[in-house]
Amino acid sequence: MLTIKRFASIPCGTDLTALYRATVGDYPKFFKMDTACKLGFLLAEQLADEPRFTPREDRAVLMFSTCGSLCNDRHYEETVREFPSPSLFVYTLPNIITGEIAIRNKYEGETSAYVMERFDPETFVALVEQAFQDSVTASALCGWVDCRADDDYTAFAFLVERGGNGKEFNVDNLYGTVNQ
Amino acid sequence: MEQLINEIKLKLIDALNLDGMTPADIDDHAPLFGDEGLGLDSIDVLELIVLLERNYGIRLANPQEGKKVFQSVAVMADYVAANRTK
Repeated sequence: MLTIKRFASIPCGTDLTALYRATVGDYPKFFKMDTACKLGFLLAEQLADEPRFTPREDRAVLMFSTCGSLCNDRHYEETVREFPSPSLFVYTLPNIITGEIAIRNKYEGETSAYVMERFDPETFVALVEQAFQDSVTASALCGWVDCRADDDYTAFAFLVERGGNGKEFNVDNLYGTVNQ
Repeated sequence: MEQLINEIKLKLIDALNLDGMTPADIDDHAPLFGDEGLGLDSIDVLELIVLLERNYGIRLANPQEGKKVFQSVAVMADYVAANRTK
C-alpha cells in the first residue's frame, strides 16, 4: 500500500523569492529558474527528508500539469524577435522541473512529467502507483504544478511512500488533502 | 570600479533573467560558474558574450579568453575597464 508521508502547497500570490530567502537561501540557481520550476523546487524543499542531499535511487519524481512550460515558452518567444535567450530556452521543457528537483536533492530514481487536459485525480494516482511497479522505488515526490502565468498557478505536492503510517494514497485522500 | 561592478551585476541580472536577485546577492569575487558561486552554466556564457559586446563593445573571439574573463564579477569589471570601446 502507498501512503502519504507529507503534503505541501504554495498558495497563488506567494512571494516566491521571499519564500526562498526565508527557507532556503543558499542555492543561487533558484533565481535562474522560471516560475514553474521555482514552485516545484520550493515544494520539494518543504517535503525533503533529513539528512539532506544523500544520493538515493529509490525516490521517483513525478510532476503533472495542464500547462507544461507554456508560461516560460511565452517569455522565450518574446526574446526571439531580437536575441533568443539561451537562459530562457532551457526552461522551455515541462520536464525541467523534475530535473531541477532531482539535481538539487540527488534523487536518482525515475523522473517523469505529464501534461494532462485537466486535473484528473484518478490518472494522477494511477501514474504514481505505476512508478512503484519496479523493485527499486520506495518513495515518490509527486506534484501538480500548473503555472498558467507568473501570477496565476496551482501548486501542491505529496511525498508518497511504500508502507508507512500515513493516510493511504488514493483518490479520496488526494482530494481530501488538497482541499483541506 | 565599484560603480562598474554594480553596473555589471545589474546587467547580469537582466541578461540572465535572474528574477528576484539583487546586486547585493552577488559577491564581487565569487565564481560565476559552478555550485560555489552564482550557479551559471555553459548556456549562460552565450548571454555573457552578448552582454560584453552590446554594452561595452568587447568582442570575445577566443572561447579560452571567456574562461578567464568570466571568473567573477570583479574579474569581468577589470577586463571591461581595460578593453571597453564604448
